Amino acid sequence: MTERYVGRNVYKVDAQDKVMGKAKYPDDIYFDNMLYLKIKRATHPHAHLRRIDISKAVKLPGVVKIITADDIPQVKNFGLIIKDQPVLVGIGQKMRYMGDALAIVIAETKEIASKAVRLIEVEVEELEVISDPLRAMEKDAPLIHKDGNILATHYLEKGDIKKGFAEANVIVENEYRTTFLDQVPLQVEAGVGIYDEESGFIKLWVASQWLHDTQADVAQSLGFPKEKIRIIQPVIGGAFGKKEDISVHIHLALAAIATKRPVKLTYTREESMIAQSKRHPFIIRVKTGATKEGYLTAWQAEVIGDTGAYASSGPAVVHKGMYHCTGPYNVDNVKGVAYTVYTNNTYAGAMRGFGTTQMAFAYESQMDILAHKLGIDPAQFRLQNAYNIGSSTPNGQILTHSVGVKETIKKAAEIAGWKGGLR
Amino acid sequence: MSKLTIGFIINGQKKTIETTTSTRLLDLIRDDLHLTGTKEGCGKGECGACTVIMNGELVASCLILATQSDGAVITTIEGIGDNECLDPVQEAFIETGAVQCGFCTPGMILAAKKMLEENPHPDEEEIKRGISGNLCRCTGYQKIIDAIKLAANRLSSKNGGRSEKDD
Ligand code: FES
Ligand code: FES
Repeated sequence: MTERYVGRNVYKVDAQDKVMGKAKYPDDIYFDNMLYLKIKRATHPHAHLRRIDISKAVKLPGVVKIITADDIPQVKNFGLIIKDQPVLVGIGQKMRYMGDALAIVIAETKEIASKAVRLIEVEVEELEVISDPLRAMEKDAPLIHKDGNILATHYLEKGDIKKGFAEANVIVENEYRTTFLDQVPLQVEAGVGIYDEESGFIKLWVASQWLHDTQADVAQSLGFPKEKIRIIQPVIGGAFGKKEDISVHIHLALAAIATKRPVKLTYTREESMIAQSKRHPFIIRVKTGATKEGYLTAWQAEVIGDTGAYASSGPAVVHKGMYHCTGPYNVDNVKGVAYTVYTNNTYAGAMRGFGTTQMAFAYESQMDILAHKLGIDPAQFRLQNAYNIGSSTPNGQILTHSVGVKETIKKAAEIAGWKGGLR
Repeated sequence: MSKLTIGFIINGQKKTIETTTSTRLLDLIRDDLHLTGTKEGCGKGECGACTVIMNGELVASCLILATQSDGAVITTIEGIGDNECLDPVQEAFIETGAVQCGFCTPGMILAAKKMLEENPHPDEEEIKRGISGNLCRCTGYQKIIDAIKLAANRLSSKNGGRSEKDD
């Protein structure tokens, strides 16, 4: 085994299929007699649904069925950490962002399904739209979910922050903001579903980053035993965190059960942008202290992560971001607080780095500003504060092996042609 | 949405097919012919995943109506190379690690082939321009550029095909 692979170039197992166009991605799967789904989505980012009228849409020739929340009273909410996401928003319930699903349209072709979606009439009672997490945190802000807009608060404490700032000769305090980002895997959310009445199996060909978790969540939402849900992983087509969350899965399952025919649902790119997870925008308030010799003494951070309408991986992402508030730099005294906040924006979840890339913008900016104030070469300033074997992170983890940050800084400075100095 | 019958040659095969005036060439290729190597990434002419060669030109099949292909000669990724003998561009993509999720790969390969036909010795800038209509979200492009350079070298030294096996 080792002789055949380790230290040798190995071709990707599925590369040949991919260069020939033979690899089967979720949208490439076809069955005879297959129906197509389209989703009627929210018409307002924060509103009570008062009426939904599908009468014109069901009459359109080629429409097989339209499922609304009334048809599926037994179906439960889903979600990665907290089950706060409805499969379909029902009368009297709230739509919380533009991606919430109101109805599943099942038709003989994609065109007919799209046309029928446009014929569905909806009446809503509009509520204040909260697009700013700072507004969401105010006492008088309307509640997006009944338990409050601050979904999670996490704290961090290491050493003695007061002592740390007392030891500092220079203190720098700033606020940083990052924005929403879409992961944009090139294959959008797509899949095919089949319900086999005889065996009671639901089979879903949908790309997922977390098969067992997705299976469990689909099962609990539908009230099926887990072993009756089979998720078959096609070639994924990129994910970058965006395919950790449920997307087409439950809608496909419901449509397959209702029609007993193979069903396919593929989002448009716009729909993927509106309905599926994003990287969290962070507001990061940081105060950092250093001695005149250029050693960090104290680091205080407040992180506000906008998780949008639903939790998804939010509490874990924002929490992890806070743990990385000092970046790869030694600081004995650290204090942090992180808030994961609901808004009416598209929900935010996992994206490469899981909260750490947002923090990098803040801590590397702090390092540059501090180096400048101290009159020290920023590369040197980073090197003399960077982690070693034996360093401890803000949450107290001792790094026992594989700490390459100093080497990385040196290499990066060399490749960039960095001559030292101040900039 | 009126129906009509069109004919074309795709990957060397003559086809006659009934379609509608609102069907995109991309849908015809995927949904009717099940040539699913042609991908949809955006449906807006932005990503190049739906690239095919029509009458010698690279086109975004999501922006073309099926009826516009009446009488055309079309090549999709399925028309390039076969299991016994891959195209040198395909081989170079495999060998340089230019394939990750692979979703952009068919469009990239067609764009690369077309570029090398017109310019057998492209420099790095020309390669970048040649694939500028194709987005890749995985590779960061460098290995795709390397692959195209490798293919260009092999094609010009007229010994296409894998020179060394690595197993
Ligand atoms: S799908 Fe045609 S360019 Fe993106
Ligand atoms: S390999 Fe994934 S988009 Fe290019």
